[in-house]
Amino acid sequence: MTMTISTTSDQSTPSLKQLAAFLSDYSAWLLGSGATCIRLEKNIGRIAASFGKDVEVAIMPRHVHISVSEADSHEVVTAITPVRHCAISFNINTRLSELSWEIADSKINFSDAVDRFHHIVSSDSQNKWLVLTLVSMANASFCRLFGGDAAAMAIVGFATLAGYYLKIWLLAKGIDNRLMAIICAFVSAVLGATDMIFHVGNTPAVAIGTSVLYLVPGIPFLNSFSDMLYRHYLCAFSRFADAIVMTCCLSIGLCAAMLMMNTGMF
Amino acid sequence: MLIQILQDALFAAIAAIGFAAISRPPKRAYIYCALIAAAGHSLRFVLMTGTAPMHIIPATLISSFIIGTLAVASASHARFPAETCLFPALLPMIPGIYAYKAFGGMALCLLAADDDTFGHYFRLFAFNGMTCGAIILCMVVGATLPIFIFKKIAFQATR
Repeated sequence: MTMTISTTSDQSTPSLKQLAAFLSDYSAWLLGSGATCIRLEKNIGRIAASFGKDVEVAIMPRHVHISVSEADSHEVVTAITPVRHCAISFNINTRLSELSWEIADSKINFSDAVDRFHHIVSSDSQNKWLVLTLVSMANASFCRLFGGDAAAMAIVGFATLAGYYLKIWLLAKGIDNRLMAIICAFVSAVLGATDMIFHVGNTPAVAIGTSVLYLVPGIPFLNSFSDMLYRHYLCAFSRFADAIVMTCCLSIGLCAAMLMMNTGMF
Repeated sequence: MLIQILQDALFAAIAAIGFAAISRPPKRAYIYCALIAAAGHSLRFVLMTGTAPMHIIPATLISSFIIGTLAVASASHARFPAETCLFPALLPMIPGIYAYKAFGGMALCLLAADDDTFGHYFRLFAFNGMTCGAIILCMVVGATLPIFIFKKIAFQATR
């Protein structure tokens, strides 16, 4: 349940209900943008403490439960919000963390904090062509790190360009991201296999192997282990399972391309 | 050797910038991601290819610790959460090849017609899967330790 935040009563000291609604939306966006559980706990604890409130948080794989209370009262307000399914954004993560400190240091009141929050989550944009170019160069460099030659790097760069463009297009069409991973891995691996088929370079196996690595869900893997270290086992397992499923999907696409192009496997 | 180290650092930096772009960091974080990834990855390269070559798992642990320490130091300087440049800087070390080889091994293991073929692919699956898991664990433990040690700096970076 997502609650609408109203700040009409008092701009500097929110009610328990207002604060719970704000913190639940804040948590949903922070988790959705790729923050670790420990950062979420720290940030919302800091915000609640600045308004003299106590907060308890239960982070589930798909929802966040926030309970806000006052030390001198028996009243407790709980809000439950689904975690936002959005692209990982360390920009949102950074700006929401900055917001938590601005609130804690009393630089802005509650009403302004709510406005700032909505501005942060609605103004995160990125030039997709620049990202496309950078990702292609990154995967070509990755190919080099695994021992690929110049021909393999060029082929991997082109395979990534095509695959990542397809990824953007498929996600814009609302395709499930697991199906997207299979299709993009297949297309990139087919293009990556041209090194082997046309004998362009001397490291064709590296080219085909690294052509799909831009799809490896690195941040979810790292977040899951980080959550595990802080004993957030449910969230850790959930993120790990998501990352494994995505890795399986890209492997399916890769294996299908290897079988189709008859390049041999491993 | 020096040329190889510099090449490794350069390509790790380019890889970090590109993979960082996917996770939308603040613009000021790109340069930190590149420098930290270059330092960490080239250190792992040196540890694995030096006079006493180290196995990839301990080499990854040491490099990740250095990456984590540099990320915490950068975070307080540039005012963003340490993870903002920590995770993209770690990405060039993600064992993606091991991960999909483990899956491929498992798939071919299930399709195997005889014991020898099954044993071969099961070994591939187990070796690559365990190596992949151990590398990721070492990466996260090594990179998170500095956040534990310098907790106050790490969580007050955006103040």
